[in-house]
Amino acid sequence: MRKRSIATNDPHIQALARIVGERAILYRKEDLMAYDCDGFTVHRHLPKAVVFPTSTEQVAAVVRYCHEHDLPFLARGAGTGLSGGAIPLNGEVVISLTRMKRLLHVDLENRRAVVEPGFVNLKLTNSVAHRGYYYAPDPSSQYCCTIGGNVAENAGGAHCLKYGVTTNHILGLEVVLPNGEVIEIGGNGVPDPPGYDLLGLLTGSEGTLGIVTKITVRLLKNPEAKQTVLAYFDEVEDASQTVSDIISAGIVPAALEMMDQTAIEAVEAAAFPVGHPKDIAALLLIEVDGISAGIDEQIDDILAICRRHHVREVKVAQSEEERARWWANRKTGFGAMGAISPDYLVQDGVIPRSRLPEVLREIANISRKYGLRIANIFHAGDGNLHPLVLFDASKPGETERALAAGSECLKACAAVGGSITGEHGVGIEKKEEMRFIFTDEEILAQTAIRDVFNPKNLLNAGKLFPTPGRCVETKMPSTVK
Amino acid sequence: MLSLTWIEELQEFLHPEQIKRNDSFHPLGNDGAVTVYPQAEEEIAAVLRYADQSGKKVFIAGRGTKRGFGGQREQADILLSLEHYAGIVEHAAADMTVTVKAGTVFGDLQRALAPYRQKVALDPFWPDEATIGGVIAANDSGPKRLGYGSARDSVIGLRIVYPNGTVIRSGGKVVKNVAGYDMNKLFIGAMGTLGVLSEITLKLRPLAKYESVVLLSFPSGDVHDIRSFAVSFLDTMMEPVCFELFNPTLAERLTGRPVYTLAIGFEDVENAVHYQEQWVERLRPKAAEMAVLAGEEAAAFWRTFNTVAPNGRLAQAENGIEAAVKIGVVNLDVLSILRESVLIADRCHVRIEAHGGLGHGLCQAYVHGSEEGVLAAMEELRQAAVRLGGYAIVKHLPFSLRQRIDVWGGKPSYFFLLEGIKRKIDPNKTINDQRFIGGI
Repeated sequence: MRKRSIATNDPHIQALARIVGERAILYRKEDLMAYDCDGFTVHRHLPKAVVFPTSTEQVAAVVRYCHEHDLPFLARGAGTGLSGGAIPLNGEVVISLTRMKRLLHVDLENRRAVVEPGFVNLKLTNSVAHRGYYYAPDPSSQYCCTIGGNVAENAGGAHCLKYGVTTNHILGLEVVLPNGEVIEIGGNGVPDPPGYDLLGLLTGSEGTLGIVTKITVRLLKNPEAKQTVLAYFDEVEDASQTVSDIISAGIVPAALEMMDQTAIEAVEAAAFPVGHPKDIAALLLIEVDGISAGIDEQIDDILAICRRHHVREVKVAQSEEERARWWANRKTGFGAMGAISPDYLVQDGVIPRSRLPEVLREIANISRKYGLRIANIFHAGDGNLHPLVLFDASKPGETERALAAGSECLKACAAVGGSITGEHGVGIEKKEEMRFIFTDEEILAQTAIRDVFNPKNLLNAGKLFPTPGRCVETKMPSTVK
Repeated sequence: MLSLTWIEELQEFLHPEQIKRNDSFHPLGNDGAVTVYPQAEEEIAAVLRYADQSGKKVFIAGRGTKRGFGGQREQADILLSLEHYAGIVEHAAADMTVTVKAGTVFGDLQRALAPYRQKVALDPFWPDEATIGGVIAANDSGPKRLGYGSARDSVIGLRIVYPNGTVIRSGGKVVKNVAGYDMNKLFIGAMGTLGVLSEITLKLRPLAKYESVVLLSFPSGDVHDIRSFAVSFLDTMMEPVCFELFNPTLAERLTGRPVYTLAIGFEDVENAVHYQEQWVERLRPKAAEMAVLAGEEAAAFWRTFNTVAPNGRLAQAENGIEAAVKIGVVNLDVLSILRESVLIADRCHVRIEAHGGLGHGLCQAYVHGSEEGVLAAMEELRQAAVRLGGYAIVKHLPFSLRQRIDVWGGKPSYFFLLEGIKRKIDPNKTINDQRFIGGI
């Protein structure tokens, strides 16, 4: 950033510039445009300013200043969030943590590492790979998303079926509270710190309870062996049943992914085609890992299950290169929609695995009802669906129709006892859909907790929870099931 | 018999057989003037609503295995026992989830799941007596935490009766869920200070096709040998479900040999288990002796192991005092704690059986001796943990001695947040008052 002096009379901007330095603040409209949204592009709003602190002390000083002057503020990592959690709805001061990106400590004997929040997810794995270790949570954006953002969203990924999501890998946090106070929880990675599990509460709180400035994570040793299977099906039902049978055979795959025909059309038209037949109804990408002596047996079982369900073709990756191509094709799946549609909207519902066939049918109905194509790329093993609603924002009314179709997909998930989000978070996008799964009392129970941490509600306000109803309906507990 | 007229008021929502007056108090405290046995969630809610509105204090219990864990009050007005609130609500075998009432005995739950080749992936102490609600509320875990995680990794949903009688659900019935705050976490390990767990939904794991436990004993007694073996083994790609070290006193009880012993557990298909055993064989120091318990022998070993901790349901030790301490340190520092346990036992003239997981950092020490010896030993164990950046909490101790030691070992700097959470949910301190850290 070029040297320049602060050219505004706004006393807040001047004060913030004194904290972080003149080279670490943006406040001109043209500079702020890049920060008016994150990976959820339907809503946009300009921030008041963007600051780039380089230390916990600077973050704390900025927060303290905002707290004292009643300025709304929020934290932002790489801005890859898909639910709008980093959009400055209220003209917030955006605290960008991208310059706090150091790897502070690696302790392989105790399998942990300490990072700053702006450290990129994949870089952590790359930093320890030469010793055979890795960091397990692997969201599709892992090449650019930050671990701080992963903590805020409790990010998942394709391999969390076996290894869990972010919350299962966080051992300690340093947090700047909304009043600027700095606390440390679980400090050096000691398990079960006495007291309520604030690590668990903060992880996935979508940046509404505090700003994480240091993170102690668990590292895992690479599995000794890994095998990846690709299976093509002519019927979605057969693919769904294969998923169920693999799980009930007592196999815990590292990943179990599914794509439907529309999704396959997109990934084959995009940057990483692998030659999937375009006339199949669904494909499964199945990975098992673990001790090599046990892998072949699991692969044999999986192949047998696929065949029992009329698989058209099934193959095992013959090389690491082939495996990597299959995964690149899958992990860039959302972006691939750009090859077949001007715009798309991704949803993130979760269902009990056994309800997969009926919910996929319902999503097909929703697609017909709204006259919009819906592609499905998802983590079938843990029932985490990603319906991608394809639309054209330049056509009047189509954005609204896409949003309504997305919301209806979530309603279908909630109706079978599922959830409205498995890994992308609620953010702005799914605030109102929270009512599909929680009563007003249950939502109040959650905002009561927010008030303990964030009593002035200056930190990332207007996210995660629905706008309070005008007439609060109190449901009798006995009717809640 | 105490004359407590208010007890009759309980009959407005409970049958007389569900109400029992208590004449004497349990030496472990956490007792009630009256014990009530609700059989339905509405009854739990009614008891709490009554207590919250009439200024009564309520303690919550399962079957009492953890009665000696925390608590600065000998008795409350009401002891709410969930013993008769048991059973599986829903086992979705194809989804590998189960919803169960809090008073269900942990072992009963596992036995109900076993025909489906499924299990709850937790290995708490006293599984045939502890209830699932107590295991979750106290965040109990055993050596296999290394492979399967702890309660926070298995619980996916809860129904909680708040102190004012409102029922709140957290999480859900799906294995992956980030809708709203992860409220489940607040209630796990909260010692019942935020609400009564009514129903618990857990994700399940397949039962292992084969299991074994390798016992590796180190007659030299040199913890450096153990450390270098541990470091080299944990750096391999082997996947032990536990890597638990026993101090010589505990090893003698479990294996008959009073030397440091590592219990390394494997659960996988049979080939993979044997393959990993061979890795132990290959890497073990020459002086270390190795024995393998396979299949049912391994299961039997763990059944015995699971009963070494003090149990609040059993009669008090006749000669001397029994205590249990949970110590958390960074993984390999478990070695230092176990070594300290031997030295402290000597210095304080007590018997200490201790074990800890080198892959997860939690130790348990069971101390037996005179009142003064036990108190001194616990204090020294705590100092050793704190020196290593860890903590020690007292998991089992008679009520009279709990007033002479800080069970939770001081307050963290962010205690005001813990207190704030308690105040929001239980402003009248109706449930489990003073059971938790800092007198919460």
